[in-house]
Amino acid sequence: MSDLEYPADLRYTEEHEWVRSTGDTVRVGITAFAQDSLGDVVYVSLPNVGDSVSAGDTCGEVESTKSVSDLYAPLSGEVTAVNESLDTAPELVNSDPYGEGWMYELRLTDSTSVDSLMDVETYRGHLS
Amino acid sequence: MTDLLHSPLHDRHVALGAKMADFGGWEMPIEYPGGGVVAEHTAVRERVGIFDVSHLGKARVSGPGAADFVNRCFTNDLRRINPGQAQYTLCCTPQGGVVDDLIQYLRADDDVFLIPNAANTAAVVDLVRSAASEGITVENLHDRYGVIAVQGPASDEVLRGLGLPVDHDYMSFVETQWEGLPVIVCRTGYTGERGYEIVPAWDVAGSVWDALAAAVVEHGGMPCGLGARDTLRTEMGYPLHGNDLSLDITPVMAGSSWAVGWSKDEFWGREALIAQREAKECRLMRGLVVTGRGIPRSHCQVLVDNEVVGEVTSGTFSPTRKQGIALALLDRSVALGDEVVIDVRGRGVPATVTKPPFVEVGVRES
Repeated sequence: MSDLEYPADLRYTEEHEWVRSTGDTVRVGITAFAQDSLGDVVYVSLPNVGDSVSAGDTCGEVESTKSVSDLYAPLSGEVTAVNESLDTAPELVNSDPYGEGWMYELRLTDSTSVDSLMDVETYRGHLS
Repeated sequence: MTDLLHSPLHDRHVALGAKMADFGGWEMPIEYPGGGVVAEHTAVRERVGIFDVSHLGKARVSGPGAADFVNRCFTNDLRRINPGQAQYTLCCTPQGGVVDDLIQYLRADDDVFLIPNAANTAAVVDLVRSAASEGITVENLHDRYGVIAVQGPASDEVLRGLGLPVDHDYMSFVETQWEGLPVIVCRTGYTGERGYEIVPAWDVAGSVWDALAAAVVEHGGMPCGLGARDTLRTEMGYPLHGNDLSLDITPVMAGSSWAVGWSKDEFWGREALIAQREAKECRLMRGLVVTGRGIPRSHCQVLVDNEVVGEVTSGTFSPTRKQGIALALLDRSVALGDEVVIDVRGRGVPATVTKPPFVEVGVRES
């Protein structure tokens, strides 16, 4: 797994999701480890814009040819955007998990809650 | 993973960095770096792929009358083929349940080679051995041969370049040698594409693989894992034992009646299967093509007007069609062309009932 990348400016969850702060919202996706474990992603089901989610809620699914994984809300908030390009190009989750393969954006209920998530060193420790 | 058995090609897969998993007690490659299920699947459909399927069983039944004896055990009719030909058949219980589906290679009247599924080999060998009369020898040769599948439209060029026999008829085989040891080259497969399954003696399997794998890459192909093998076979509607055939899913239900020699006087499960076939009550295997979004999986319920009419036995994403497909056992009230709903983890996914295969096929082309 040494060739998989984990950007230092992101926060991470035990469910292998990443969170990037972008001002008053955060962007959410799945990590390189998660996409590599799943294999070729062929279908992504995302929450709807306007949905309220609580940390730990299942709010979508990522499917590969082999298996399906739930998406969990990393933090509580309201969904403000979803990556609609994953409807037609789910493989972006494999090819660019931190960029074009992002999944949705949240306006956090508590903007400081992001600090409760793992930093990259803690996440790397969690993986090993 | 310490208890899992290893193919003679295990070190090749490790060196390539393959993702490995347990298949019937054998640690086998699911997919390779630089490939992945979709790319490996597409390589087979468009060019060529090479698979290690050495986990498949190998067994031999020999002695005077061996072919007649095997013909009294398994469902298909060995008298329909000649020496040098192979046949798909089923090993059933007296109740008609399927212990295994396998390929039987008729070498001579006194020599039949069998390729059962990995996990069922011991059970098949035990059943055949306990039924064998004096003079018939039943050998489990699981670790005496490897099995390498080369599948795809460029398969002939790959084999021809190495001096291996090609272009024999579909479901026939040629015995040859590689570095002085026996190799069987069968025009068979589990992908729906033109191709070969090569059965080398265990000790030359690595050498055969190295030569074939290099030629496959030269022809624009790649090594393919068992993940792609599963999506390829599902697109063809080929049943997988444990999913689409089982002790509870008979050949009559699974649409495998074509592999039953109904006119034979004797085979295991004959009376039960004839009764089930004549009763015309059991569920039947159909194809489902998802018309909405979603991927059906095994054991998803199938509904019409909120009533359960069946269950998915195998489901996946079709890399060729880019949509969900499934094999499902459905009530006879459901007709081809009907619209149904598949309950995928609580979400209703609409689908159309079809007859597999789900893709155009090239397997029999001469």
